[in-house]
Amino acid sequence: MFKSLVSKLNPVQLSCGFHTTACMNEVRLLSRLRVVDNSEIGKRAMAEGKPPKVICVYNKKHVGYIGDRVLVAIKGQKKKGILVGMKQKQSVKVPKFDSNNVVLIDDNGTPLGNRIHVPIPTILRTILKEKTHSKGADYTKLLAIATRFV
Amino acid sequence: MNQADVSKLVSKLRINVLPKHRNLNNPKGPEGRIDKLRKTVTGLIKFERIELNYNRADEARQYAERLISEAIRHGDCHKPTMDTANFWLLEKELIHKLFKVLVPRYEATNLSYTRLISAPQQQYGRHTDKAVLELRGNPFPDLMNYKTNNKLLIQNVLLDAAKQDYKQSKINEIANNIGKKGNSSLDKSSKNIEVPEKPTES
Amino acid sequence: MALAIRRSTSEVFGAAKWFIRRDCRALSTLPEKAVEVPVEKKRDRPVVSRIRANARNPNLALRHVYPEFLPDPNPKWRNSLREKLERTDMLNRRKQIDIPEFYVGSILAVTVADPHAQGKTNRFVGICIERKGAGLRAEFTLRNVVDHQGVEVRYDLYDPTVHSIQVLRLEKRLDDKLLYLRDALPEYSTFPFDMDPEILPDGTPVPVNPVQVKLKPRPWLERWERQELQGVSNIEEHLKEKDRVRRELRKEPWEKYDLMKQYRKTIPIEDQNDIWAEVNHQLKQLQLTRKKVSRKRTFGVPKTQLG
Repeated sequence: MFKSLVSKLNPVQLSCGFHTTACMNEVRLLSRLRVVDNSEIGKRAMAEGKPPKVICVYNKKHVGYIGDRVLVAIKGQKKKGILVGMKQKQSVKVPKFDSNNVVLIDDNGTPLGNRIHVPIPTILRTILKEKTHSKGADYTKLLAIATRFV
Repeated sequence: MNQADVSKLVSKLRINVLPKHRNLNNPKGPEGRIDKLRKTVTGLIKFERIELNYNRADEARQYAERLISEAIRHGDCHKPTMDTANFWLLEKELIHKLFKVLVPRYEATNLSYTRLISAPQQQYGRHTDKAVLELRGNPFPDLMNYKTNNKLLIQNVLLDAAKQDYKQSKINEIANNIGKKGNSSLDKSSKNIEVPEKPTES
Repeated sequence: MALAIRRSTSEVFGAAKWFIRRDCRALSTLPEKAVEVPVEKKRDRPVVSRIRANARNPNLALRHVYPEFLPDPNPKWRNSLREKLERTDMLNRRKQIDIPEFYVGSILAVTVADPHAQGKTNRFVGICIERKGAGLRAEFTLRNVVDHQGVEVRYDLYDPTVHSIQVLRLEKRLDDKLLYLRDALPEYSTFPFDMDPEILPDGTPVPVNPVQVKLKPRPWLERWERQELQGVSNIEEHLKEKDRVRRELRKEPWEKYDLMKQYRKTIPIEDQNDIWAEVNHQLKQLQLTRKKVSRKRTFGVPKTQLG
């Protein structure tokens, strides 16, 4: 909007004076995600066209990367989830997906659904294993319900 | 790191090319820049020697070199080259000059097709770098003139001719005076000869 | 004065000769050959245009097959020694595994060593939508739709963890980049993982697939309507009047005549000739050895059937 305003004010100069970037496709606060497991709440939210919103990313950068834990607002409830597929540019050999995928889990790391119906990147095996502590939550249960790895 | 474009082949220019183009300030942006350069390239092909600002001369030089090298490589039966020449040369009779005069002239050369010589700066007023851009093998006298004692040089030929004319006229005058008055006006005529000869010698 | 005139007269004379010959050809009733042949021979011997001779080098055709052997054209990043070392490294890598000829639009199967996967290897099949980077940094992107989910994987061409690259279908598309497949209907980028390789007979030119994809309705990831894409059929359906006006405003018809812009994007013929002369022999050798190996394989098949 600001760009168009500037061009209206100064019709001769075609290039604007400041820099605008393309969409980074990052997972930040209030970005919408796609629930890819078959949990009841997730299925209903996606069917109603009200996908979950990120209200917290549990890392220090506040930008969600692959395997990060997020807190989402879904159908008026707060649920935790794990990012299992990202739209933003990935490093070599890590798959990039067409949507930001999330699998809902509870506090112990147990997934709410019992099946994931999209492919899961294999690198998630290592990432989730590293994130799991012996006393804390066990996130590797998520890998057991995956149907396919790419 | 980008991949080189492989869809087109270009022959190497024999001049230094900057990594990035110059914008050549103008209100119409890139289109205006190309229009400016089109005028300059047309002028260069037409007059074969032009004087202009250094930046614009250097940019126009690159485009002129590319145009001539494309013309040499493809000849006049190649449709895209003809289109390019049609775009760059605003006066259409210059297209004939490009293919029929300049291509034969530069076909066998190993040097660049143009020369860029920096011109003396203005002593007063706004300081801008000036340059002279010319096609090689143009019919004008050379600008970089190191051998000033060459007899065949245009300036020397003209000076010699002027001297000759002056001497001849003086001899004629003396001869006329001798016939008219005899020895009374000899002193005056000898003075007359000596005074104006000084500037011709220097 | 005399000098100037002498120089210009010789040129004018040369040009006049040219004019006269051209005009006479049209006017004369004599057969063309009788006039042409002796004159042509005279002209050709002294005037050998080096530019034209360089452009005739047959090695230049290699640039389509091995574009990553050409360095980045930006002079800031050129370094002749580094480029040479990279080329030797690339050839060494090509001795280890078979990196086949492929183009944007070809369907590839790539197997890589993957420490995260269960079998320690990972195979992915997809259409090559982009190829970029020069030297050892050359990379390509594969795209596929798996379980109704679009997936893209980027691979380095000279990655030591790559086990094999197999071309399942060798073809080109109408565009240089197929990034618009991200916004196209999923059936255009769906390829089964158990696809059989299609073998082209030797010597046939690489076929161009003229398929035109259909885009999904907007929003799109990029402004495809401004990119003059050949491989999209229904782009006009999704446009509003505003977009068409904007497209007209943003057109840059002078761009294709910008000779220096083209020059700065490419490697000139003379430089390319040096590079191809350096690597041509080894690339040919590699091709020959691959052919021998593949022939052995084809002879091997009937034996196993007999036994």
